[in-house]
Amino acid sequence: MQPFLKIENVTKRFHQVVANDNVSFDVRPSEIHCLLGENGAGKSTIAECIYGSYQPEEGTIYVDGEPAALKSPAEAIAAGIGMVHQHFVLVESLSVLENIVIGTEAATPILDLKGAEKSILEICKRYDVDLDLHAKIWQLPVGQQQWVEILKALFLKAKLLIMDEPTAVLTPQESKRLFEIFREMNADGIAIILISHKMDEVMQSDRVTVLRRGKNVGTVITSETSKSELTNLMVGREVDLRVKRDAHKSGAPLLEITGLRAKNDFGTEKLSGIDLTVHRGEIVGIAGVAGNGQGELFETLMGVRKATAGRIVLDGDDITNVSPRDVQQKGMGYIPDDRFSAGLVGDFDVQSNVVLGAHRDAPFARNGVLNFAKIKEFARNAIDEFEIKTPSETTICRTLSGGNAQKVIVAREFAQTSKVLLANQPSRGLDVGVIEYMHERLLEKRRADFGILMASEELEELLSMCDRVLVMFKGQVMGVFRSEDADIEAIGLLMAGQDVAGMQETA
Amino acid sequence: MGLAIEKRLAPSRLWMVLSIVIALAASAIASALLLRFTGADVGVAFAAMFDGAFGGSRAIAKTLIRATPLILTGIAVTVAFRAKIWNIGAEGQLFAGAMMSYWAYLMVGPSGGLFILPLLFIAGFIGGGLYGGLAGYLKSRFQVNEVLTTVMLNYVITFLMSYMLTRGPWRDPTSFYAQSPRIDKSVWLPRIFDGNKLHIGFLIAVVCALAVYFILTRTSFGYEIRAVGQNPRAARFKGINVGRTAIHVMLLSGGLAGLAGVIELLGVGHRLKSEISHGYGFTGIIIAVLAMLNPSAIIFVAILFGAFAVGGVTMQVATGVPSVITSAIEAIILLFFLAASTLTRFQIVWKAKS
Repeated sequence: MQPFLKIENVTKRFHQVVANDNVSFDVRPSEIHCLLGENGAGKSTIAECIYGSYQPEEGTIYVDGEPAALKSPAEAIAAGIGMVHQHFVLVESLSVLENIVIGTEAATPILDLKGAEKSILEICKRYDVDLDLHAKIWQLPVGQQQWVEILKALFLKAKLLIMDEPTAVLTPQESKRLFEIFREMNADGIAIILISHKMDEVMQSDRVTVLRRGKNVGTVITSETSKSELTNLMVGREVDLRVKRDAHKSGAPLLEITGLRAKNDFGTEKLSGIDLTVHRGEIVGIAGVAGNGQGELFETLMGVRKATAGRIVLDGDDITNVSPRDVQQKGMGYIPDDRFSAGLVGDFDVQSNVVLGAHRDAPFARNGVLNFAKIKEFARNAIDEFEIKTPSETTICRTLSGGNAQKVIVAREFAQTSKVLLANQPSRGLDVGVIEYMHERLLEKRRADFGILMASEELEELLSMCDRVLVMFKGQVMGVFRSEDADIEAIGLLMAGQDVAGMQETA
Repeated sequence: MGLAIEKRLAPSRLWMVLSIVIALAASAIASALLLRFTGADVGVAFAAMFDGAFGGSRAIAKTLIRATPLILTGIAVTVAFRAKIWNIGAEGQLFAGAMMSYWAYLMVGPSGGLFILPLLFIAGFIGGGLYGGLAGYLKSRFQVNEVLTTVMLNYVITFLMSYMLTRGPWRDPTSFYAQSPRIDKSVWLPRIFDGNKLHIGFLIAVVCALAVYFILTRTSFGYEIRAVGQNPRAARFKGINVGRTAIHVMLLSGGLAGLAGVIELLGVGHRLKSEISHGYGFTGIIIAVLAMLNPSAIIFVAILFGAFAVGGVTMQVATGVPSVITSAIEAIILLFFLAASTLTRFQIVWKAKS
């Protein structure tokens, strides 16, 4: 069978950085072709080249056997290529139907919503998708918003659909359903390029192309390979995927949260009575689809968001609604998920960031005057101890990679925290090597009898790292599990907000 | 294929230097063309301007006197802008400082001579500081946009002063103009040298600029100002009280502008009147931006602007070209510098065929 898409020796550079180095692979109609690689390996870049957002410096992209120099997404769409980005491009205040039709031929010269609705309904019927076409986007849960994006591509008669990390916003059940639908699309001759780093999903594809540092290090048939082989290919060395969580007895309660409620910036309640306890030497995980209150929970704990009700007690001290500075001085630190927004001052250098929060305290300041010698010394030690790859301690943080930026935050929070560490998606967007590092560092704090509360969208990560995992949905704790006897199926249902009778356990 | 403009990953040092040279050259050419249009001999005009600003100790003194309030308003704006607080009200804070200082002078009387000067300076700093702090408080307490409040407060204070000097108690009854009686000579700012009018206000302004440089780069407070300006969210998470920092910044910013008012009152005008500022609060914004919010660079930019103002008058005498044309030249320089600083962040690349 002739491939629908053929990439031949494609090279894409940004300044001196080579994002794609002589990459070649092809995509056949009716296959799920996975692009696997660490962050910065060039997956998204090659996808954007295929979608016409970037033009490669060298090499050729063939569509249906013909060389196609796609200069824009519009040309890619005309050639039958659709893409669903990780961050959706939808107009919140418009309806599903309007969002699908916007910018298509059905909207010119006269908007033909009726005709479009008919053909979209047919697509929905074909794939058994239940979606209210007249609902506004903001009324839909994230999982359904993704459908709007996919429907748009199908409405434009895409023969190749590029999906950039599609399951990041889905519950396990929703992901499963998505893959069933991918298979039905395959049956209709639609090819899927799946960008992912979740091994379970990768294993469901037909073929996998592994990218490492911009280079194609191999295209393999999925059924002839294994998770560990793919991981080794991706990282370039042997990786032990299992976290070595040693037996460690947890102690007395350290962080006790009761009936906690809080609103978001728009006045909508995002925490509706959270009860949870973290003990000494214990890692508690929060499972849940992003946006179900995890961010608000951490913000409220750290004192940057006001609790409207409830109590937060840290090692016997009531810290409800005290200032962020007081929270930190009582011994609680936070590793945020959005590193450059909540974690670092991007335009500050490494040494300034690594003392952020301690900049008024000895030995870094005396009588309000900064002691740069001490700051520099501390930063140099941190760079050594935490293996931060940076040209120097005066390098601007914005220029660091995500992993090294994360290490700056970790170095800082470890130094400033004495009792409880909060971590929101501590491994998001990081390379396997840095994820291992993060896990090891957190386990080290567990051994030192810290209490740790971490949220993650990766269930596997939570189950391997945490002593207990609780599931959050719409600002409520749906259930608590001991990691040893957790049932992924049940957790998935709870993540989707379905009460599972008999599954809830008081832990 | 063809030329394309791309964003640079990091601003290039070579281009930073080069851009300043290019901007200066381009401003000179554009200014020369402008002068040419007025029919003046460009060479004579520039020579007269330079002579007026720097020809001899008296000229230099005049230039530095004119630069003094600009240094203070320039650093006032810098402190606020570093925190990304857009204080457009240095003009009003300058008047608030002058008024508070004048009021303090009326309270204690001139009998103390120079010994009351520190009190008058402190009063001026407090007056300007409270006036700026008001905008800071409204911003942090009620999220009122400081651009609006500082601009509107400029009007409030000038009208209040206008009232005090026309129908109010501060009017000089012997004068036809809306101005206060003259301040007693014993509390005029002392001169630094014999033979010219340069007063200690210039030294005070320079010391303030260096102090602000120290605060911004070496102290915890300055660190917080920069952190709040660069990333208020991260600053908040790390225990910095962003609202309180905003108020403190505006107190300091307003106070510095207030000192400019005190110096103009005691060193130049010797009366409270609307002419104690020739838009210094607004020129301070241009100076701060041109100096890239660097307090030590502000001293030099302010002197340059002082030179334009003083030299422009000499040029008018020599060539008949109205001295306001120097305002146009200042604007030309600003535009070219802004264009140049943008250029340092981009590069022109030759794109090969894809």
